[in-house]
Amino acid sequence: MFSYTSRSLIGVGKRLRAPVPFRSLSSPTQPTPPEQEKTPAQDPTPTSTPVAPAEAAPVSPTPTTPIATPAATPTATASASTAPVAPTEVEQITKSSVKEWSERLGAFGEDSRLPRSVQAIYLRPLRRKVEYGLPVCDLQLRSYSVRNVEFFTDFAIRAAYYLNLPVSGPVPLPRIVERWTVPRSNFVHKKSQENFERITLRRLIQIKDGNPQAVQAWLAFLRKHAFYGVGMKANVWEHDSLDAGKAMDASVAEVEEVLRPELTQFGQRKDNSAPGTIFDTLNSERFAERKRL
Amino acid sequence: MTKMAGLFRPKKLDLSGFVNTRLIRDNNKRMAFEQTEPERQALRYMIRNTSLSGRVRAQAQLQLSQMHAYTRPTQIKNRCVASGTARSVFRDFRINRYQFRMQALAGELPGVRKASW
Repeated sequence: MFSYTSRSLIGVGKRLRAPVPFRSLSSPTQPTPPEQEKTPAQDPTPTSTPVAPAEAAPVSPTPTTPIATPAATPTATASASTAPVAPTEVEQITKSSVKEWSERLGAFGEDSRLPRSVQAIYLRPLRRKVEYGLPVCDLQLRSYSVRNVEFFTDFAIRAAYYLNLPVSGPVPLPRIVERWTVPRSNFVHKKSQENFERITLRRLIQIKDGNPQAVQAWLAFLRKHAFYGVGMKANVWEHDSLDAGKAMDASVAEVEEVLRPELTQFGQRKDNSAPGTIFDTLNSERFAERKRL
Repeated sequence: MTKMAGLFRPKKLDLSGFVNTRLIRDNNKRMAFEQTEPERQALRYMIRNTSLSGRVRAQAQLQLSQMHAYTRPTQIKNRCVASGTARSVFRDFRINRYQFRMQALAGELPGVRKASW
């Protein structure tokens, strides 16, 4: 049913790590000094060494030199004493400041990685494989805002994965549109009216052949971490084995024990019952009187 | 079976928010109906039950008609909880059409916004 159910987390990590160094390569803000000694060392791909310096050479002077040159030229003409100080200060500031984003991201991509559970947040929710496809629980989420309902469905699906529950959905159910038309002012001005609406968005999540206790735990977890502005409604089905009749026969004694206090309430009140037989009542004066009527 | 409407009025005001004489009266009617509903239903059943004697049924009719007016469900009228008005009260929000417009424009009703289609 789902093509990406059997996806492993290790493959996911590789996929995330790949784009980060590429971005660091392509960014023009990368600090490349005029000496070309450092450029091959920074370049992570050694195969492209003949191409990389040629590309980097025209790009590299643009961010660094224009800042330095306008500062240097006026100072050099005005006073010889301040001129040599200014460029050194600029260099010191650039070196001592925090590393560039590209470098930081590159180090982040190569040297370290996020924990697997955190990585998974950036990716589509994982799902368990359906074995029999027997529906166990239908959860309907309702909200007036798309963001809230989308976020919470995602949360619910992820929670179901960690509880080992196969999920189908989210199914976007038809929206419920309610509209009201109201006169803007007194009844005299009925011609000028205003329309208001309320659109309820719905999502259906179906749990298939899950353990009933796990389903209850899942629902309790969702109720505990209920999101603002999102309503929940769950239909839970329980399935029994084919020989349910035998089990019911076995549980008759228990049921009778439970029902005993209720069953004792049934029957005629003792103080209300007539002393004689039914014929005494039929032949009584009151009954005969009523007959005449 | 006294005819006093004050019989159904609680000793202490049990309403909050917007309070109005007519709102309090309506609330009293609701309380009275709630309290006497089983009695009313029993009498109604007796009146309609053809297996009972005519005398009993007539007595039940009399008793039902002699019950206080406030115990009748038809006395209950939906009123706006924000202004006490009895006309054009929306069942969804329990407020008047004017209050609805003001509150909707102020964004106090969740999910309600100006519509254009």
